[in-house]
Amino acid sequence: MEAELAKRIVDGLREAGVNFVTYLPESRLSQILALMREDNSFRLVPVASETDAVSIAVGATLAGKQSACYMECTGVYVSCYHLLVVAEHLRVPVLLILSHLGGFDDQRNSFHYALAGVKLIPHLEALGIEYKVLDNGENLGAKIKNAVRTMNALRLPVALIFTGEFTV
Amino acid sequence: MIRYECLELLAPRITDQLVVTSQSGQRIEWGHLCKHEGNLLLGEMAAALGVGIGLALALPQRRVIVLESDGSVLLSLSTLATLANLDPPNLAVFVFDNETYSGTRISEPTATAGKTDLEALARGAGIARAVTVQDLGSFKKEGVPALAEKGLRFIVCKVKESLAHREIPRPDIDLVENKYRFVRYLEQTEGRPNPFIGRG
Repeated sequence: MEAELAKRIVDGLREAGVNFVTYLPESRLSQILALMREDNSFRLVPVASETDAVSIAVGATLAGKQSACYMECTGVYVSCYHLLVVAEHLRVPVLLILSHLGGFDDQRNSFHYALAGVKLIPHLEALGIEYKVLDNGENLGAKIKNAVRTMNALRLPVALIFTGEFTV
Repeated sequence: MIRYECLELLAPRITDQLVVTSQSGQRIEWGHLCKHEGNLLLGEMAAALGVGIGLALALPQRRVIVLESDGSVLLSLSTLATLANLDPPNLAVFVFDNETYSGTRISEPTATAGKTDLEALARGAGIARAVTVQDLGSFKKEGVPALAEKGLRFIVCKVKESLAHREIPRPDIDLVENKYRFVRYLEQTEGRPNPFIGRG
C-alpha cells in the first residue's frame, strides 16, 4: 500500500473519532500501525488473539471510547464467537478494519490465502454485520466517517474491508 | 469454601468499582448479592476478562473487578497473555475454580480437575501477582484487599462445586438493559456522555 493511502486511513479514523484500536498485526495494511503509534489521538492495544481484540474493544466502547479492531480478515473467523455473543448480543458498536487477504482484488493473493478470502463476505453476512468494500482511496475519509456513524446508529459492529489498491 | 461465601465477602465492599461477571452461576449469585449499577452481568463464557481489560484501559482511574470461572478462562487462554503484557494496574481478576462445568443439567470436570493449574498458566503468561487461595481465611487475606489496592491481581479461588445458584431467582434484566444501566452509571459517575449512545 502506498504510504499516502496509509496516512489517509489513519487521518480518516482520527477524523471519525476513533480513539481506541485493538489489533493483531497482518501484512496488507500494516503501515497504519506505525502511524497510529506516533499519533496521540489513538490508544493502540496489541492482543494475542482477535477474540481479545473484540472483547477488549467492547469494554472500551462501554467506557466511552470510539473503538476499532484492526485485523486480517481471517480474524473474523477466529473472533466470530465474541462478535456474536459479546458485541452483537450486548449491541455495542465496534469498527472492524479488515484487510481482505485472499479476496478477488487482493493483489498479493495466493493459494495460501484464497479460500479464507472468499469466505469472508458470506461469514459477515451470516453474522449480520454490515460492511463496505473499499478497493481504492476515493472519498476514503467520508467512507470511514459513514461507517462509524452507521455502527453507532445500529449499536452493532460494522466492517470496512480493504482490498485492491490497499493490498499492493 | 464455596463461591457464594466468597462473593458474600466481596459484595458489601463494592463502592464505585466496575464489576464484570462471567457465565451462569456466579452471574446469578453476584446479581443476587450485589445490586450495584456498575455491575455488568455478561453471562457469556470467555468474554468477561476481555471486556474487563477494555474497561480498565479506558478508565484507568476506576478499579475494575472481573469475576471469572475456570471453564471460561480455559476457553480464552490467549487473554492471559494479552492481559499480562497490557498489565492494567486497576484490574483484579477472581477466577472461581470449581474444576467443573456446572450447568443446569451437567457436572463434568474441567481441565483444572486434571493436570492444569490456572495460577501457573497466569504466571507463565507473565502475570506476576497470581495466587491461589484454598480457604476463606486466605481469601480474606489475598482476595478481599484486591477490590481496592493498586496493581493487577489474579486470584484463583479453589471452590467446591455448589448448586446454590439454582435456588436463587435469576437476574430479571436482559443483557441490553444491563448494558444501558451500566453505561448510564458510567456517564453519571464519569461526568461525560458516551458517544455511541448519542442523541435520538
